[in-house]
Amino acid sequence: MDIFLKLGWYFRAKWRRYVLAGVLLIAVDVLELTIPWLVGRLIDEVLAQSLTTQSLTQYVVAVLVLGVLIYIMRFLWRLFLFSASFQLAELLRQQVYRHMTLMAPGFYNKHRTGDLMARATNDVTAVEMTAGEGVLSGLDGVVTGVLVLVVMMVFISWELTLVALLPFPLMAWFFYIIGTRLHDGFRDAQERFSDLNDKVQESVSGIRMIRAFGREVREDADFMQVADRAAEANMRVAATDSLYDPAIFITVGVSFLLSIAMGAWLIEQGSLTLGQLTSFTMYLGYLIWPMFAYGWLLNLVERGSAAYTRINALLEARSPVVDSGQLLSAVNHDIHWDIAEFTYPGAGSPALSNVSLHVPQGNLLGIVGATGAGKSTLINLLLRYYDHDQVRIELGGHPVQDFTLQALRSMIAVVPQDAFLFTASIAENIALGRPDASIEEIRAVARLASVEQDILRFPAAYDTLVGERGVTLSGGQKQRIAIARALLLDAPILVLDDALSAVDVNTERNILAHLKQARQGRTTVILCHRLSAVEDADQIVVISHGEIKERGTHQSLLAEKGWYARMFNYQKLEQAVASGR
Amino acid sequence: MHQDDELPRRVDRRSLRRLLRYALAYPRLLKQAAVLLILSTLGQVLGPVLVKVFLDDYVTQGHYPARDLIFLAVAYAGLYGLSAWAGYWQAMRLNDVAFSVVRSIRAQVFSTVVRKPLSYFDHRPTGKLVSRITNDTEAIKDLFLHVVATFAQGIVLIVAIFIAMALLDIRLMLVCLVIMPVMIVVMINYQRLSAPRYHKARSILSQINATMSESIQGMKIIQLMNQQKRFHQRFTDTSQSHFAARMTNLKLDAILLRPMPDLLRTMTLAGVLFYFGSQSMTTAVEIGVIYAFINYLSRITEPVMQMTQRLSMLQQAVVAGERVFEILDEGKEEHKNARQMIEQGRVEFRDVSFSYDGKHPVLNNINFVVEPGEFYAVVGHTGSGKSTLMSLLMRFYTPQSGQILLDGWQLHEIDQNSLRNQVGVVMQDPFITTGSVRDNICLGQVMSDEQIVRAAKQAQLHEFVMSLPDAYNTMMDERGGNFSTGQRQLLSLARTLAHDPMILILDEATANIDSHTEAVIQSALMQLKGKTSIIAIAHRLSTITSADQILVLHQGEIAQRGTHQGLLGHEGLYRNMYLLQQSRGDG
Repeated sequence: MDIFLKLGWYFRAKWRRYVLAGVLLIAVDVLELTIPWLVGRLIDEVLAQSLTTQSLTQYVVAVLVLGVLIYIMRFLWRLFLFSASFQLAELLRQQVYRHMTLMAPGFYNKHRTGDLMARATNDVTAVEMTAGEGVLSGLDGVVTGVLVLVVMMVFISWELTLVALLPFPLMAWFFYIIGTRLHDGFRDAQERFSDLNDKVQESVSGIRMIRAFGREVREDADFMQVADRAAEANMRVAATDSLYDPAIFITVGVSFLLSIAMGAWLIEQGSLTLGQLTSFTMYLGYLIWPMFAYGWLLNLVERGSAAYTRINALLEARSPVVDSGQLLSAVNHDIHWDIAEFTYPGAGSPALSNVSLHVPQGNLLGIVGATGAGKSTLINLLLRYYDHDQVRIELGGHPVQDFTLQALRSMIAVVPQDAFLFTASIAENIALGRPDASIEEIRAVARLASVEQDILRFPAAYDTLVGERGVTLSGGQKQRIAIARALLLDAPILVLDDALSAVDVNTERNILAHLKQARQGRTTVILCHRLSAVEDADQIVVISHGEIKERGTHQSLLAEKGWYARMFNYQKLEQAVASGR
Repeated sequence: MHQDDELPRRVDRRSLRRLLRYALAYPRLLKQAAVLLILSTLGQVLGPVLVKVFLDDYVTQGHYPARDLIFLAVAYAGLYGLSAWAGYWQAMRLNDVAFSVVRSIRAQVFSTVVRKPLSYFDHRPTGKLVSRITNDTEAIKDLFLHVVATFAQGIVLIVAIFIAMALLDIRLMLVCLVIMPVMIVVMINYQRLSAPRYHKARSILSQINATMSESIQGMKIIQLMNQQKRFHQRFTDTSQSHFAARMTNLKLDAILLRPMPDLLRTMTLAGVLFYFGSQSMTTAVEIGVIYAFINYLSRITEPVMQMTQRLSMLQQAVVAGERVFEILDEGKEEHKNARQMIEQGRVEFRDVSFSYDGKHPVLNNINFVVEPGEFYAVVGHTGSGKSTLMSLLMRFYTPQSGQILLDGWQLHEIDQNSLRNQVGVVMQDPFITTGSVRDNICLGQVMSDEQIVRAAKQAQLHEFVMSLPDAYNTMMDERGGNFSTGQRQLLSLARTLAHDPMILILDEATANIDSHTEAVIQSALMQLKGKTSIIAIAHRLSTITSADQILVLHQGEIAQRGTHQGLLGHEGLYRNMYLLQQSRGDG
């Protein structure tokens, strides 16, 4: 139950809605109980033959008025209570989202997307249920239960009440047991269902193998095995669910039986009227809901508190990179790397060691080397995706930590390895960093990135939607859009991180020629596998296994006849083979 | 769970009927369920009648003969017990029907999908197909499990209650009957109003989830571009519009769904009281009747409400059913008139041309003949068409023009079993099934231990297998996690060798193949040479130096052909490829 304490901050913030809902709930309960009482009075008057047309009309009108009042109040408490719980769900979602925008990549390496999503979806729903249905069943269950008991005991007969209530605790227990089993069974069924999904996924994506080996019949059998397991789990849930009705029937039946038997005896004793007995049996019906509510409440609280704990753990996570810098701009845009050793959190061997590099403003630095050599790590550290005390990187003479993250990143335009595009139009994707850019500006950078021709061929040109519901772009198109996106930023430092790998050689040449003008006065870093992209660089470094192995210019490196020279010849041959020579 | 559900304006009756017909395959279960349903309903409806008898015949008259009362009490308890028992088993019978129906639909759609022509899968996202087989059939399950059951129970109960009311007092029943049309109108309108609004709220929610997951994946870019605030603001806006949509639904529910039937019931109660009260002033009335009526009234609102809530499930199930039927009706690949046997192992490509989309040719006039026992190798740069050539040979696709002949027969003329047994395939990404190592070698065929061990030895996998905890009975992880890539390749080789095919198609792994695996494959090929016709799609030229003939593909055409030595002899594509691979070694 401490979940209600943990959510106290929210209840206090929305106390008006919760108090109003509570008052209305109590009022509804009181009014609802008045109806059986009126019916009992009416029956007694009928029996006493004291009923007049006038008093009958009064009774009927009273019932009608009560009905309407109850209707209105029920409408209102729903509105107050559930609007509060719905709002809580959105609030938690927004908090989770905001928190995630503050987390450095190190955080995302530790948390899988699926796990984060589960907290933002299932867990949020569970907490919402606690703050809505949980509060409802707690409050309403207690109020109805207590009121009904008081009325039955005080106004009718406490002996009768006690006897009639004997089976009810049993019912609450049934509800709790069934609810728990249902929840567990449901989770199991979901797991089996996801097994089924995996199995089908495997078969559909492995359809060629199935065909090649003629395994259709075997696949059918395997599939049915998994499908049957899923069905059995579902069946167990359905069977548990089917227990609700018998549980209600049996306890209510026993209770009715007891109250009629006992009531008859009391009537004979003269201590109870027939009207009272009739009202009494009606009241009994009102006790089913509180019993159900208690069982449900226990379930909701169990689920809600586990979920809230998980959400809180997420919201309390600190980013591994602290944004405590003060500087907003740099005097010049020289970059200096001085790395004794850097190891990624959780990795065994260092990604970089003994790297010392200096790029004066306006120069072009080429970084080449095999995949996994540590090229991108240099950029990740420059951008402060990771921090490390053995890493010192300076920008314009100041350690990167001295700048605010926003200032640091706005000085650097990066085209990352994986050109990630959002579900939005192409224009919006290019203007990601400057949403206010004009279409002329967008088109200008698209031309620089040699992608305009491709864009104009799409159904709605720049307004074409990217993603599942829109066009699918080739790897090269994505990369070029990412280049356009970075160029639009007009930042003093430009970094291309293996950003031309999916672009063919001729297009690469075009883009590089365009960049030559665009990078006037800018510090440019190009990381690549294909050497032709860095031939013009003022400085080229070859990185292998996290260390700088060779450095120089294109000409001097060729003369060295080392890795660079061998790679250059290899790529020349590769080019020949690709073109069929 | 149910993605891409577009809500139609109306439920398609034909699909609904077709779905319901599946249940008719279980007449015994249905009959049992019907009998049990009637029993349980009778139990529920007769209870208040007994109480009425008790109130009117004994309590009012003030005499309590013990035997009659005990009889009444026992009958009452018995009825409740019967009702609970019958209700439970009735539900279980319907569950049985639901699961049997879904089982047969699932089996049908799965086996249809795995037998569709390969081109069927080219333009259909895997996720969508999977969703057809799982989510859609799940929605159909809900139809039988929840919708059919709720409607059957609800309608039978309501009808029974009104019959009981009529038997007690027909005019009072007529007063109550007024509630039904009103309730039905309210419920139909509720459904009409709520379905599109609920759909809207749901689609905003899936948009929220999609945005969230996309943002997690693209968080680096968002941070790089300093767009955290803007994305958060946009997310907040979507989230608030979700809240607004849910509030609309909440209001609709609060006006029409939950409290409404109760209001109608209270009004009916007022009517019953008024009628009963005015009757009592002129004639003698039975108190028990009013008791029974109040009791009955309290029971009719819940089933109506439940049926209303199930209507949207019904809609979804029918939409899902339509999609599933579409798959079933499109049919699958049939193999008729395929009776020819492979007896020699001669492979011929005769003027074969192929294009995936009909526009861009991938293979152009390919001609070659592999005589029985010959070893042919196909090489080429990425995109040269060699994988496509392989796909054609495997019958995944049919060439637009030209013929592929085995022993002079066209592929579709050859008996499926003969094709399967005589043409062995070693795939690039070896197919691992869940099961033991043994299962993975014999792939469902009966094989002696010697056969299996001999094949494993040939593929030099025997020692490794023996080092495993349960040797040949070791269970393979999903996707073969406890085997390295090279070992999986060897397992695939062992499997093919165990089947002793006449024609062997080998698609060599592009990456991660170590020199040991390479050597093993090469020596296995050497052993087969002369006995089995081999077509190897090679990425490493070193494995094919002993091939009888090497075909060098470039842009869908055979650019060069000859033996390894012959091709190396002069300038050209093959020689450059060979030099390239040589220099990769020290790169």
